[in-house]
Amino acid sequence: MNPDWNDDEKLIDALRDALASSDEVPTAFVDAGKAAFAWRTIDAELAALTYDSAWDSLDALAIRSESAILRSLTFASDGWTVELELTPDAVLGQLDPPEAGVVSARGETGKLATTDIDDLGFFVLHPPPNVPYRLVCTTTSGTTILTGWITP
Amino acid sequence: MRDDPTVVDLVTRARDGEKNAWDELVERYAPLVFSVCRRYRLAPPDIDDVGQSVWLRLVEHLPGLREPAALPGWIATTTQRECFRLIRSTSRVEPVDLAESPDVPEQAIAEEEVLRHERRTILRTAFAELSRRCQLLLALLIQDPPPPYDEISRRLQVPIGSIGPNRARCLTKLRQTPALALLAADGPDGFDQGTRG
Repeated sequence: MNPDWNDDEKLIDALRDALASSDEVPTAFVDAGKAAFAWRTIDAELAALTYDSAWDSLDALAIRSESAILRSLTFASDGWTVELELTPDAVLGQLDPPEAGVVSARGETGKLATTDIDDLGFFVLHPPPNVPYRLVCTTTSGTTILTGWITP
Repeated sequence: MRDDPTVVDLVTRARDGEKNAWDELVERYAPLVFSVCRRYRLAPPDIDDVGQSVWLRLVEHLPGLREPAALPGWIATTTQRECFRLIRSTSRVEPVDLAESPDVPEQAIAEEEVLRHERRTILRTAFAELSRRCQLLLALLIQDPPPPYDEISRRLQVPIGSIGPNRARCLTKLRQTPALALLAADGPDGFDQGTRG
């Protein structure tokens, strides 16, 4: 792959290709990439997926496509567990150990929805996000827990 | 380009929370992500999906990135992996010979795209270092097909007879820019400078 830019014609060709290649990338594509930096500022405990009811099914894809079927997920970090039930109308969540606070769903481009977590650690996000998201739970005692990605 | 000090600097600053440095990284490597996606013939919405996953992974990956100079390779490979994931999960695109011939060609494609991206970046940097007059002239000459010389003469207000010599002069200047000179000094993969005078 020697560029052989000693040749005027080949250098002209290479320059055309170089300048065109930066033009073909849509501005929105670049901007979305820049926005991704916002995730960095979330200093949170990462809660990883430890259970997905879809795993129990022999045909996980069938469950995903049937939105009427309830799906439950469990995310866990060292000290916290977030249990979720995804229904067509809402995301029901339970923080364990129970503590009040605020929970938001964040998609790739930013905050999608926010709601309170009650004293028993329970919350309802209604309606559920329709794009992939992560939940950020901030408790009143100041802990932030970030779940893995959830694909509706 | 192997140990591009700019990239190392940008990664370090982005890691420290400098949004500007991150923006610059994205601007620099968005074309790489884009061209890898194009290699797998992804549709625009799918390219957006892959892009998002790649950038989010990079945000998470920044603190653990031990060799910032290896970033382009990491980006190309990660993009590729995200492309496969998407192709598999949607099967909207026929996974042509992807499944049958895994590792070797994949890696070759990633390396090829990294190289191509490096060259394009070098050329764009070099072009930006040229004088305004050279930039204007070359911008016209790289059109496909280029406008006739009398039109160039009219638009740039230069004698027709000077266009040919200026073309050669500007290309020589392009080869002599620090960006290209660096590539020439980079070994067998570069080019032999100055043999054409």
